[in-house]
Amino acid sequence: MKHETFDHRPDPELGDALRAALEPAPGDTARFVARVMANYDRALEQATVPTWEVLASWFRPGLAAAIVALIAGVVFGQAVLKTQDTESIETAMAPADGPGLAALVTAADPPDPSVVFTSLVDSR
Amino acid sequence: MGDSGDDPALVAQTLAGDRAAFGVLVERYAAQARRVARAVLGDPDDADDAAQDGFLSALVKLAQYDSKRPFGPWLMRIVANAATDRRRRRKVRSAEPLDPSLVGGGPRPDAVAVQSELGDKLRAALAELPERRRTAVVLFDVEGYSHAEIAGILGIPEGTVRSEVFHGRRRLRALLEDWKE
Repeated sequence: MKHETFDHRPDPELGDALRAALEPAPGDTARFVARVMANYDRALEQATVPTWEVLASWFRPGLAAAIVALIAGVVFGQAVLKTQDTESIETAMAPADGPGLAALVTAADPPDPSVVFTSLVDSR
Repeated sequence: MGDSGDDPALVAQTLAGDRAAFGVLVERYAAQARRVARAVLGDPDDADDAAQDGFLSALVKLAQYDSKRPFGPWLMRIVANAATDRRRRRKVRSAEPLDPSLVGGGPRPDAVAVQSELGDKLRAALAELPERRRTAVVLFDVEGYSHAEIAGILGIPEGTVRSEVFHGRRRLRALLEDWKE
């Protein structure tokens, strides 16, 4: 009997033939079970203690992330510094109008208080 | 597939530290796991190593098993992956057919099936199929898993499983028909 169309059911004849072809030797199961169980404790121990391979696998992506973060930090820092004003403290302290702080301090005559207070009020 | 109704209970006992419960699971699924691994690898000794790797890997991952689902497909997925990993480590590409000289299993006097001519022919025919195809056929026709379960085990769509089973069977059935004539 030919089976050219798709059959949704298992084929017992083919299944039995394949099973016989792939079957381990009779009576061999106990030996296999014993072999697996002999490694029971070792498998659990290896699962609970991180091995060097595991630690190394954590290290590599961590190192890559740190390098990326460092580069991003440098680029961001440079961008922020470029946008900031670089005026000196003297420029920052000078009033918008008038002779300026140096002229006021070095003048021979005392300053007119109304001018001083006006400049302070204006600077705010 | 044996008495698998109490698999979740055995898993729970294993997780609680009952070593003997895991032994029952290994005994219950040993033959199936070894057949599936042999379908992937061909060589019976390699298959036993892979099946052992699969059981021990399952032991370590047992807490991840969902007890509402059947245990067999979950375990077979791990075993099939262990076999595929072992095959890759042999530095043989997975799409390549197995070396037919391996599938006979070498000089193992205890392997009755190896001495059967039909068994030899079937193993050689399996070896010519792509890995996924021969695994799908074995899981379907030998182990009795559904297409949906095989899709989960192999990590492929259900439609692909149907196609793989169909094409794999066509080759193997032709061989079986020739044998009968």
